[in-house]
Amino acid sequence: MAKQSLKIRLKKMDIGINIILIILVLLTFYPFVAMIFMSLKDNPQFIHARWVPTLPFHFENYSYAWQAVGQYVFNSIFVSGVSAVGGVIFAALSAYVFARFEFPGKGVLYMMVIALMMIPGVLTLVPQFLLVRDLKLLDTYWVLILPYLAGAQPFGIMLLRTFFEGLPHELFESARLDGANELGVMRNIAIPLSMPILGTLMIMNVTSTWNDVLWPSVTLSNNKVKTIVFGLWGFQSQYYTSWGPLNAAYTISALPLLILFIFTSRLFIQGLTSGALKV
Amino acid sequence: MAVLREFWHKKHLYLFLIPTFALLIVFSYYPPLFAIYNSFFQWNGFSERIFVGLNNFTQLFQDSRFVNSIGNLLILLCWNLAIGLSIPLIVAELIFNLRSSKQSYFYRLMFIVPMVVPGLVGTFLWRFILDPNVGLANLLLEAIGGAGWRQPWLGGTKTALISFMIMGFPWVGGTSVLIYLAGLQGISNEILDAAQIDGATGVTRFLRVDLPLVMGQVKLMLILGIINGLQAYTSQLVLTNGGPGYATMMPGLVMYQEAFQYNRIGYANAIGVITFLVILFFTYLNMKYVRSSSEYY
Repeated sequence: MAKQSLKIRLKKMDIGINIILIILVLLTFYPFVAMIFMSLKDNPQFIHARWVPTLPFHFENYSYAWQAVGQYVFNSIFVSGVSAVGGVIFAALSAYVFARFEFPGKGVLYMMVIALMMIPGVLTLVPQFLLVRDLKLLDTYWVLILPYLAGAQPFGIMLLRTFFEGLPHELFESARLDGANELGVMRNIAIPLSMPILGTLMIMNVTSTWNDVLWPSVTLSNNKVKTIVFGLWGFQSQYYTSWGPLNAAYTISALPLLILFIFTSRLFIQGLTSGALKV
Repeated sequence: MAVLREFWHKKHLYLFLIPTFALLIVFSYYPPLFAIYNSFFQWNGFSERIFVGLNNFTQLFQDSRFVNSIGNLLILLCWNLAIGLSIPLIVAELIFNLRSSKQSYFYRLMFIVPMVVPGLVGTFLWRFILDPNVGLANLLLEAIGGAGWRQPWLGGTKTALISFMIMGFPWVGGTSVLIYLAGLQGISNEILDAAQIDGATGVTRFLRVDLPLVMGQVKLMLILGIINGLQAYTSQLVLTNGGPGYATMMPGLVMYQEAFQYNRIGYANAIGVITFLVILFFTYLNMKYVRSSSEYY
């Protein structure tokens, strides 16, 4: 009897939790669902029924939007892709050395990297702009990629060092006894065991560079190199009243990340829940 | 000598560090030093610098735009920390208490998917929702309480800052949820069993067992929240440019306008230096007074 009532109580609790969570999911998703509805409306539909779906759907909004922002999407894929992959490779090389070896200056060098996390963008935006202006990098891909690579290092090194240190020592010893050199040990032992955390870091780098508006807004003026999210800012002031294409452009800006996410969500959720993220 | 010999013996290790440090020296160490140097000068970025000592700093605190921005920043920072630390933790606790791992995975996935939509797009969508004439917020308010309940939102001096607080409702940050969930899943079964035997369930268990054991995660979110919150101004730049009046002005936005509209580099850098000092202070407090997770075991 008592056992059954406990079971029923637990079941009731599960139902209660599910109801709360479903409501939160729906509220979280509504603005994005509304965006997709709005992206399929022409102007009369938009003015009369903005917040609910209306028929017929106007898919041509997407082709208008694509003509305006297609180039920006390719720019963003290139810039974020190169920055994320390069950033993770460099951070992994440094984190590996910090995690597994003793050498003179290790403590100081590591502190110097970590201390950078305290330096705000508000302090560095202007001098970084002056620097790239004097290096003649304005309006190139490099003006984004190089600072993004540098910016990804402190957090990446901190996260990966913690993770590498947690890997069992015996694995490394046996690989070394088998005659593998340092790069070999890293490639064959450390990297395969760290795929979830490396993938997580890569996705975090992609989203942070994809979402950046401030740095492109001061360094890019040429449409040929503009990134999608920065491009949207200009697009929305220019097409303020073409609501359908505007929302179609918003939707397009999320698609590459959605595709990336579909292929990596398992890795990402695994990486974030691995427990490496704490102080 | 011994140090030098060890250095020479392990020289190949430094090769691994070269790509990182080459980038950091140019793009991460040089700029802040250059900014601190510039903050003592009057400079437009092109012509001669004029040394003005601490003038930029004293001038800042007489600049009503900057003084207003500090108040706005503190309000938004406190709000965002309160929301950003608590709601994801509650959601993580709810997911943690689900018995079905399928359901648990479903919710983790659902809360993380919105991450694919760029933050700027979210900001623009919330501007649609808060549109004074046809926005969803006013439609709902009018339906509940009549036309008198309509708000000017971003256009009103009193409601503009509140609009930025409403954005993102119900504020379930997916990444934060997963980080908290990692902490909860790290709690050993013995501890949870012991808690159950001692009769600690529901809120009691949350406060006495779960919360202390996820302090490592809370501390991470607190540090990141303060560092990010102190320099937030993108949404204000894009939506209101600090207005109406100075109602949504942010210190970072003052910096942006000074540097890129008025070419006052020294003055803009002084704001950066102040922000940096505040972050330094909070980091010190955090390291000194907030206990680390490992101290609980």
